[in-house]
Amino acid sequence: MVYLPPPHLASETRPSYGEAYTNILAAHRRSPLTSASSVIMLVAPDVDALCAAHMLATLLKHDDVMHRVIPVSGHAELEKQRDELATYADLHTLILINMGAILDLPSEDWFGGFSPQLSVHVIDSSRPQNLSSLFGGGEIGERIVIWDDGGAERMEEEQKAWEVLTFEPEPGSDEDSDLDTELEEEEEDEYEEGSSTGKRRSLDMFAARLEKHYMSGTWHGQSASGTIYLLATVLERIDNDLLWLAILGLTFQYTTSRISRDEYDKYQSIYQDEVARINPAPAPSAMKDGDFKSQNPDDRSVYAVDELRFMLFRHWNLYDAMYHSSYVASKLGIWKERGRKRLTGLLAKMGFSMQETQQTFSHMAKDLKLGLRDKLDQIAPEYGLVELTYPSFTRCYGYLSQPVSASDAVEAVSALLDVAGGVRMEVEVEGARNGGEWFGGGHVWEAGGRENNSRKDEDKENVLIGGVDNGRGKDKAGGEQTEELQWWVKNFWTAYDALDDIHQLKRALNLSMSLHRAIIRQGTSIIDKQDIRTLRGHRVVVLTQGPDLALFAHPGVLSRLALWLVDALRDRLPGSVVAGARSKRKSLPFIVACLNEKEDTYIVVGVTAALDFGDVRKNEFGLAFLDAKERCNARTRHGSFDTSVIEINKDDLRVFLETMCETGDR
Amino acid sequence: MAYGDDATQLVIESKRSQHADSLLKYNDHLVRAVIREQRDLEKLIQAALARLAPAAPGDDVAVTADVVLYQTVILRNKRCLLAYHAHRLDRLKDLYWSVGGALPLLLSAPTTAVSANAAGDLRSRLSPHEVDFLRAYNDSLIDFRSGVIDTEELDLFAQISKPPKDLHVLVRVVRDCGVIQTEVGAIDFRRGQRFLVRRADVEHLIVQGYLDEVS
Repeated sequence: MVYLPPPHLASETRPSYGEAYTNILAAHRRSPLTSASSVIMLVAPDVDALCAAHMLATLLKHDDVMHRVIPVSGHAELEKQRDELATYADLHTLILINMGAILDLPSEDWFGGFSPQLSVHVIDSSRPQNLSSLFGGGEIGERIVIWDDGGAERMEEEQKAWEVLTFEPEPGSDEDSDLDTELEEEEEDEYEEGSSTGKRRSLDMFAARLEKHYMSGTWHGQSASGTIYLLATVLERIDNDLLWLAILGLTFQYTTSRISRDEYDKYQSIYQDEVARINPAPAPSAMKDGDFKSQNPDDRSVYAVDELRFMLFRHWNLYDAMYHSSYVASKLGIWKERGRKRLTGLLAKMGFSMQETQQTFSHMAKDLKLGLRDKLDQIAPEYGLVELTYPSFTRCYGYLSQPVSASDAVEAVSALLDVAGGVRMEVEVEGARNGGEWFGGGHVWEAGGRENNSRKDEDKENVLIGGVDNGRGKDKAGGEQTEELQWWVKNFWTAYDALDDIHQLKRALNLSMSLHRAIIRQGTSIIDKQDIRTLRGHRVVVLTQGPDLALFAHPGVLSRLALWLVDALRDRLPGSVVAGARSKRKSLPFIVACLNEKEDTYIVVGVTAALDFGDVRKNEFGLAFLDAKERCNARTRHGSFDTSVIEINKDDLRVFLETMCETGDR
Repeated sequence: MAYGDDATQLVIESKRSQHADSLLKYNDHLVRAVIREQRDLEKLIQAALARLAPAAPGDDVAVTADVVLYQTVILRNKRCLLAYHAHRLDRLKDLYWSVGGALPLLLSAPTTAVSANAAGDLRSRLSPHEVDFLRAYNDSLIDFRSGVIDTEELDLFAQISKPPKDLHVLVRVVRDCGVIQTEVGAIDFRRGQRFLVRRADVEHLIVQGYLDEVS
């Protein structure tokens, strides 16, 4: 038993998160060498992992556990880290956040060969999990601890199948938990002996069961930050900061379509109770125009509110917020002139003048703000906008800022994570909008914060070193190269710092707006130019030019574009609605590829389109990509932990896509 | 060129360095020029004294005025030279303390983050005598620590402006500084990672600018 059930399923004999954490503390205090190399957190670069790492670091700090946080971008990097970690003698706790669930951790390839004092904790929201990590017992298996959300409870069948297949005594094969070899052996055996067919059949059944487990695509379970939050609950160390981070993790999962609306509602109601428990009930005066106001300078409380599905609307103007929201876009068809007319029509019907809606939201006329939600409720359904709100949370920041809603914060943080550095971005200056182009509407985004100050230092250093004539050019070039390698690490820490720095967060909101503008621009042009090709059950978009090409070479941004396209086109493209037969509706998966000019590669993102808004389907691209790759020998690379993102050599894209779509046909 | 111009140049340079908060290159050329001027002035004084009537030394007003003028210029030049050097030594001492007394770091490593603006390639901007001074200063400080104070516990280089509030400190790595052996095990500080470590173990690295404290 090496997976941990969530606390409510724990009992005397079954330890849960709390006990695992106590073990970490105990190991730390018992060991003679307790430097920062003994507890190491590996963190994947996504908002959920960021929040989880932040929370866990806080907990560990309170307990005076010295630790080390290492951002890890993808599997290749993880392997590199593993080789390095093997050299640390006093390492006793390794915590993987949002990575590693799918890997066969107990095997020799990963942590099987590590010293017996090491325990590996896996806090990962991605599914499916590797069964040998999950159920494998014994010396090594005990050291791999999966913090599960209770999903493993329901996998009895898989467990049985796995146990049967793993511990099946097979002649000539040492105990091997690797699935593929196992399956091959199965098949070979079948040809050799036909005697015990009954037993064979049951084995086949088990193998099929396992195959179904692994091959049905990827999906997401409880967020990593949610797991840490449960841990904090058990430890009784909850405060508003932790709660807020957990909420961000959840919101991130929802807004990036990782979990369905039902899942979201489940956790949302839990957090809502928590919010009510920790925070005093808001005074009636606080609830003025549907939004809360900070009651005093130190007010950091969190409130549950219904969030409009408009993008960053508290910080943008109403028109833009609606225009850039993927929900509104899909319902109104915003990319066409007609759609935009419908949007203005909607606003006109609500009695909002064009001028007012172009105003920054906080400066909009008070009565309009007060009536906004009522008006929307009355009029928006005429335009098919029925699900305009969803339950969410808002946090006050004293007098430092307007209250920030969870989805706004997530947008800002993920924008920082994607493009805080490494790409040139123009951001609009507040208030410069109506000054016209003459005065320059924007300036180039420059990330502040610790990490980026340090970069300035480096530049200075470079200049100083290179002051001696000819050394200069070389030094500069060298410096820039290392910069390039590290941009995502910088972004990681910038985003990490922004989690508890409201000023950074507020600045990032502007960046996020530019990002959304770019996405809409690109998305609109894709739909306008009809760049979407339908290849045998897949919709394929290939971006090879455009002003934002460098931007979309980031997998994170590209996935957002793909999600926007999916949302926007859900009900619009032929093929998603088969005439007459509603039950046979099928949605075609989306593949978006973008040229990375610097590297001469394509970044390819696959998104499985769900049928309904707020619904989520398993993403089958991870395996489909691998399959296609094998069959056409394309030179590809998985850069990140997300298996549905792949990097392909420029020349191989065509053949890859063709193979890919043939596979999809099966 | 009027007497004392070169010396004034030196003082202006000191003033500039003070305003720019940086240590300029040791102006050997100018210093030599001033010293040459001093010698010339001395010769002039000698000559004037020789011209002085041996019978009634106080009577020759013209010659006495000459001598007084030369004497004033000499004294002024000397003051300027002393001011220039005193200023440089003060700066050097400041630098020395800012890197926590790590002399090799100051002299060999071209830059440190803390003193990047001031100490970039310091060695080339020093005169040999100044390097000697730094060494001697370092030596006497070590003598002082081991001999006069006679205790190992007192860390002369610890920051006093910001007294520590916590045993542990969260740091990020500004520059790679390799594997550091601490009392409780080795730590490999790499860029792009953060560490929660014992303050005492890394205090000197923070002072030297390898690590940066994350509040």
